[in-house]
Amino acid sequence: MQIRIKIILCLNGLFLFFMLFLPNVPFASEKNNQLVNCDIQNQACVQTISEAVIFFDIQPKPVKAMSDLTFEVKVKNVSVSKPPMIDLNMPGMKMGKNTVKMKMTAKGAYQGTGIIVRCPSGKTIWQATVDLPEIGSVNYIFNVVY
Amino acid sequence: MHIFGDKLTWVFLTTGFTVGFGHCIGMCGPIVISISLNLKDKNTIWPHVLYHAGRVTTYSLLGGIMGMTGSFVMVTSEIALIQKGVLIFAGVLIVFMGVLMSPWLNSVPCLNDGTGVQAFFSKTFGWMVRLKPTLAYFPLGLILGLLPCGPVYTTLITSARAGMEAPDIYTGFINGMVLMFAFGLGAMPALVIVGRMAKIGGFKHRQIIYKAASIIMVAVGIYFIIKGIRY
Repeated sequence: MQIRIKIILCLNGLFLFFMLFLPNVPFASEKNNQLVNCDIQNQACVQTISEAVIFFDIQPKPVKAMSDLTFEVKVKNVSVSKPPMIDLNMPGMKMGKNTVKMKMTAKGAYQGTGIIVRCPSGKTIWQATVDLPEIGSVNYIFNVVY
Repeated sequence: MHIFGDKLTWVFLTTGFTVGFGHCIGMCGPIVISISLNLKDKNTIWPHVLYHAGRVTTYSLLGGIMGMTGSFVMVTSEIALIQKGVLIFAGVLIVFMGVLMSPWLNSVPCLNDGTGVQAFFSKTFGWMVRLKPTLAYFPLGLILGLLPCGPVYTTLITSARAGMEAPDIYTGFINGMVLMFAFGLGAMPALVIVGRMAKIGGFKHRQIIYKAASIIMVAVGIYFIIKGIRY
C-alpha cells in the first residue's frame, strides 16, 4: 500500500509539473513566440494585402488587458468604401465575438475603442484580425500585459 | 428597445453553444466531472441542471449590471478580487471532492485515525454531499458562475455595449441580462453532456476508475488553486 501511495504522489507531482511549467519551458514559449508578428508594445505594425498597406496600432501603451483601449487602423495606396472591423481573439482559441467598431477620423484613417480580456490560463498572446471590406483581412499577433 | 429575440441574442446563444464544446469543456469540465463522479451511483441529471441554473443566474445578473452601468472595466475591476477567491475556492472544492472520493488517503497511517485529511474534509465540506441536490448545487453554480473566463468576459463586453446603447438604465439592465442568459444557456448542453459522460457507474472496474479519477481531481484542484493565487 505504501508503494501505491508513492506512485500516486509521483503521478500528482508529474501532472502538476506538466500543467504548471510546460508553457514556460523553452520549446513551448518558442512555439508561441513564433506566432507573434507584431511588437505592439513599442510600435505600430504594418502588413500588406497586394498594394494595400495596413498600419495597426493600439493606445495607450503598455497595451494592458482588461482596460479601455483605442485601436487605430490606417490604410494606404487603396481607397476603402467601408470602415474596417477588428475581431479580437487568442490564436487557436475561440473566445467568442469581441469586435471593435471603427469610425473614420481622416481619409484612410480609422479609430475605435475596445477591450482585450484576460485569460485565466495566463497566456498573453492575442490576435487582432483586421477585416477590410472588399480587400481582405490580416492578422496581427502580439503580446499584451496582464 | 429590448433585445428579446434580437439577432444579437441568437448570436450569443450560438456562441455559447460553440464555445461550450471547445473552451468551456477545458475550463469548467473538471468541475462538472467532479460533480458527476461525486454522485457515484446516483443516476440523476438534477444536480447538473441546478448547478448550471445557478451559473446562468450569476451570468445573467452580471450581464444586467454590465448593461446597467455600461462599463465593463469598472465592474470587472470591482469584482476582480472576488473572482480570484472563487478560482481558489473552485480548486479547494475539486481537491475536497477528490479526497472524499478516494480511499487512498485513509491508507496513510497518520491520516486514518479519524483526524486526518479525509476526516477534516468530510467535516468541513461533507454537508454539501449530504444535502439534497436542490440545496447544494444551485448555490454552488451561483458562486462558480463568478469564475474568471475569457468567453464570459467577451460576452460581458457586449452586454456593457448594449447597455451604453440603451435609452435608460432599466433597458440596459434587461438587454445585458438577456445576452448573458443566452450565452450561459448556449454553453449548457456541452457541459451537461461532459458531466453525464463522466458517469461510470456501469463499468466493471469502476472502483479503480474512481481511484484514478480522485488522483487527477486532486491534481486539477491544486492547479486551480495555483492559478487562482497567480491570477
